[in-house]
Amino acid sequence: MNESEHRRSRLAGVAVAAIAIGVLAGCSSSSSNSSSSSPTNQAASSPAASSPAASSPAASSPAATGVQTSSCGTKPGVAATGTPINLGSIVTDQTGTSFADIANMAGAYFDCVNANGGINGHPIKYFIQKEQTNPTQIASLAKQLVQSDHVVGIIGNTSIIECSVDHAYWEGQGFYIIDSGIAPECYSTSHSAAVNMGPRYSSDGAVQYALTQHPSKIVFDQANVPGTTYIAAGPNAIAAAAKTPIQDFADTPPIADANSVAIKLVDAAGSNGAVVLNFTPPDALAILAAAQKLNLEDKVKLWACSTPCNTDFLAKTLGPKWNNKIFVNAELTPPDGTNTPTMNLYKAILAQYGKSVTGGIGSFSQMGFTEAELMVKALESVTGDYTVASVNAAIKALKDVNTGMLCQQWTYGSYSSHLPNNMDYTTTANNGQMTLAPNGGGCTLISDNDPQVKAYRAEAGTAPTDPTSTGG
Amino acid sequence: MPSWSELEQFLVSGLALGGVYALSGVGLVVLYRATGVLFLAFGAVGAMGAFLTYEMIQASAPGWAAWIVCILFGGVVTLIYGMIFGPALAGRDRLVRAVATLGLTLILLGAMELLWPPTSGAVRAISLPTDNSGFTVVGLQVSWTQVIALGAGVVLTVGTGVFLRYTKLGTAMRAMANDREITATLGVPIRQVEAAAWFGCGILAGFSGLLLADLVQLEPATLTFLVISSLAAALIARLRSITVTFFAAIVIGVVHDMLTPFNALTNYRDLTPFVLAVIALLAVSRHQTIMTRSSEES
Amino acid sequence: MAGTDTKSSAAATVAGQRLALLRRPERPVHLSVTVALVLFALFALPELMSAYYTGYMTLVAIYSIVTLGLGLLVGRVGLYSLGQGAVLQIGAWTAARLLFATGQPFPIVIIEAGLVTMLIGTVIGLPAIRLRGLYLALITLMMAGAITVILATVNFPNGGGGFTGYDGQQSHIPPIRRPSIAGTDSAYYRYAVVVAILMFILVYAHLRTRPGRAWAAIRQSEPAALAAGINTTYYKLWAWALASFITGIAGGILAGDAHYLYSINFSTQDSIILLAVALMGGVYNLWGAVIAALLMQLLPAVLQNLGVNYAWLTILFGIGVLQVLTTAPTGLADQFPKDMKKLGGLIWRLVRRPQPGASASASASGGAGGGST
Repeated sequence: MNESEHRRSRLAGVAVAAIAIGVLAGCSSSSSNSSSSSPTNQAASSPAASSPAASSPAASSPAATGVQTSSCGTKPGVAATGTPINLGSIVTDQTGTSFADIANMAGAYFDCVNANGGINGHPIKYFIQKEQTNPTQIASLAKQLVQSDHVVGIIGNTSIIECSVDHAYWEGQGFYIIDSGIAPECYSTSHSAAVNMGPRYSSDGAVQYALTQHPSKIVFDQANVPGTTYIAAGPNAIAAAAKTPIQDFADTPPIADANSVAIKLVDAAGSNGAVVLNFTPPDALAILAAAQKLNLEDKVKLWACSTPCNTDFLAKTLGPKWNNKIFVNAELTPPDGTNTPTMNLYKAILAQYGKSVTGGIGSFSQMGFTEAELMVKALESVTGDYTVASVNAAIKALKDVNTGMLCQQWTYGSYSSHLPNNMDYTTTANNGQMTLAPNGGGCTLISDNDPQVKAYRAEAGTAPTDPTSTGG
Repeated sequence: MPSWSELEQFLVSGLALGGVYALSGVGLVVLYRATGVLFLAFGAVGAMGAFLTYEMIQASAPGWAAWIVCILFGGVVTLIYGMIFGPALAGRDRLVRAVATLGLTLILLGAMELLWPPTSGAVRAISLPTDNSGFTVVGLQVSWTQVIALGAGVVLTVGTGVFLRYTKLGTAMRAMANDREITATLGVPIRQVEAAAWFGCGILAGFSGLLLADLVQLEPATLTFLVISSLAAALIARLRSITVTFFAAIVIGVVHDMLTPFNALTNYRDLTPFVLAVIALLAVSRHQTIMTRSSEES
Repeated sequence: MAGTDTKSSAAATVAGQRLALLRRPERPVHLSVTVALVLFALFALPELMSAYYTGYMTLVAIYSIVTLGLGLLVGRVGLYSLGQGAVLQIGAWTAARLLFATGQPFPIVIIEAGLVTMLIGTVIGLPAIRLRGLYLALITLMMAGAITVILATVNFPNGGGGFTGYDGQQSHIPPIRRPSIAGTDSAYYRYAVVVAILMFILVYAHLRTRPGRAWAAIRQSEPAALAAGINTTYYKLWAWALASFITGIAGGILAGDAHYLYSINFSTQDSIILLAVALMGGVYNLWGAVIAALLMQLLPAVLQNLGVNYAWLTILFGIGVLQVLTTAPTGLADQFPKDMKKLGGLIWRLVRRPQPGASASASASGGAGGGST
């Protein structure tokens, strides 16, 4: 190729690149606006806002919202201006899996607090670090938060592997983490307490509910990520105690061939069996939708799912055939149909400060809200300087807190493992929404037949129920 | 040992899966035979088209308009790529030209991840009107979408063979893939023929992207790299025979799904396309050194 | 050979460029720069870096070994492998298994991991070597896909027993150990850099002796090399084995660095990005491997700090591949010194009191840092 052709094609290449970047820059700014307020998200949130129990339109009007959100802080309307209190969080955010909503909602709560008096006049500065399941990256981010960002508390962590990678570091540095757990170490170590139950205990809850319908067999299928045997051990123990046979499967995500998975599960369960799933929303939806397209949804007695399925979006996409057919374990109080002050505050903060929360009303943002609530409560109890030692001592001292989002009061405490949320609801699809299951869907303790639950209760006892989160 | 009634269900679902692979696989081989470029960005182009369809449907555009956008997008992007980088890389060997399409793959993948970042909770999905109706075979519902995927593969295989052999444009494409320079000296308008080949392949990419997004998942990386399984089918045919590609894809789909009920093997069933491709390639290479034609060595 | 003048002359031009590049000796000036940079990386950098960047620079050291192997295969021998990511996984798996199962010293385990990976690579490579060009690249892609599926199902060792060393029951996964002399992050960074330097020396030694010359001949024209009596299959397999060996060692260092290994951390996309950055860095120059590793591992860290989405980097790599393949086959490693030299020349001329005409012609030629020599 001669010199001029060379130059021409290089120019062409550069031109294409420049145009592409220009277009993308233009598109991404407009598209990101649309995706944050995309119709699907609004479809998920609008039924909740207009549900019969919380039908007052005042809840969404700006003036009423302003009044409502100010109850997050101690001095309504007064912006905090003192030296900031630095907090940090590490969340997984990569293609296919993103937990950023949880940290974003916590950040929204902190924004509200900062606008309404702060913590004794100090604003909270919240550092959210995003990772892509790279262990070296996750370890580096933890050190970044501590050494460069000088955080005094960690709250909002939600990651597939962060608890495993960093728990020794947090223990060494003296941080008591408030998180939404996924990996086993989020529950089995001394310095991490979650507001949710995580895959094992949420699956326990789903299996427990399924057992109340007396199926002849349970088929438990989960995503093939590290720790599957650990997760399955809980459901297996509970089924064994109920003398019901249980068969475990694991399918590698992302599920490209949901049809064969659905057929396999239905065949294994039989017409009187129950299928229990533990997957992230896209994969769970793929399997359930495949079962429906193949006309298999009625070929088993019932379907159940761990918490990730608990979204209105799933109910809407699957349609009315699944009413009272799929039962989903809900770790937090269902937002639809709950008209408590805390739930309304949550929705109001989401509306006013939660622009970066793409999922809208749902368990992810609820978890973020609850974690932030707890952190703020701990911070408000600190007298004197806000240091790593003082803040984390306050976190550890949290006891019997009414969060308004959980069945039980929440306690941190000095235990070797933590499972402060061990009482759950069960929801079912109901014409496009997830509502409490009619029979036995209210607060139910996770069974002691899971040895880890038993071990925790031996240390910490059973917490009283939270009277402020009436949901059922 | 699973019963036959169980296995036949997987046979049916496997045929549907194979149809999906066949569509992409045949599209890959068709373009390769016409332009000498193994268009590895096939999956990414289709995926991006599907995402555009999704956006349009979210914006309440009519379904048919959204599908046409997807298909046209595939055609246009592929055409632009072919017109710029076809001549730019014309003298290079097939390997380099295939690796260059990986560049396009990365650009599109990055663009999709930027424009449609992962959402927590809400899942993006496409559904076609043919999803909800169909007919029942061995107790399983087979949707018209799956039938279309399989049928399109058949039509494509037969139609392209006929097209390449009997029409003027097809013959020109075959000649061009064989030797671009001599074909040019014969007075064939190679730029136009090339453009037609690229555009046609792009249309195919858009169409299969739409079907795949419906049948699998609307997720950038999953859809982009699904092309690797179709590539396995194309490799079994040594990138030459469209008919063999079609049947290889069907076999891959069926074997993959029929392994599902065997508990010891079920987690390894995703190996199917790779293992079959490797075996086929090695079996053939035992008797000869597989070379790209000597004129393509640089 | 069929083909008109245009085509064979285009091919000849490209071949001629390659030959010229491969024959060019390393200049002495280059060596002192290399030594200075190595000393800087070993002694000065750890003091300057925050803990955040130390982790990432360790990854740069590790992946520079991987891109070195890939550059060797692609640039020196002409074998495009789309499966180096899978080879890295095998090395990491082996090292993790041995580190948990035995109490052997860390360096021994790493070498064993390299040898096992080399063995597996050779066994896989032997039948595949007979394939050429595009088919070889595609079969490496298929094999990489297969290995990724197997490792995702079998999982990485986490201290359990049995052959796989994976215990799904673990609620407290033990970390993979590091050598006793390099437990801290800074020390491990230095350890990784030293290992990388050793690997570079190993490859460099190969390039300067008989295998290097044979590879150059094969890359230039395989039929000609065969005619000259070179056993091409043997030397191609040697390159394959060498690349597998050093990538296996890199995998071992990665295991100690990460402490915890997960199959979700290795994706198909990574193998493709490896090839992209190797091409961008430059496959004809050992420095290209370092640049490639910086692009792949350090740039994301910098962008993360700036709040820029990682997807922009994916797009950049895609553009980079296209740019390198169409206009600048030598990559950044070669471009940068050339452009710097031209820039230096331009500044020198300006400083030396030029006429307006001379500076105009200097700037006109300075813009074309093109690939043709």
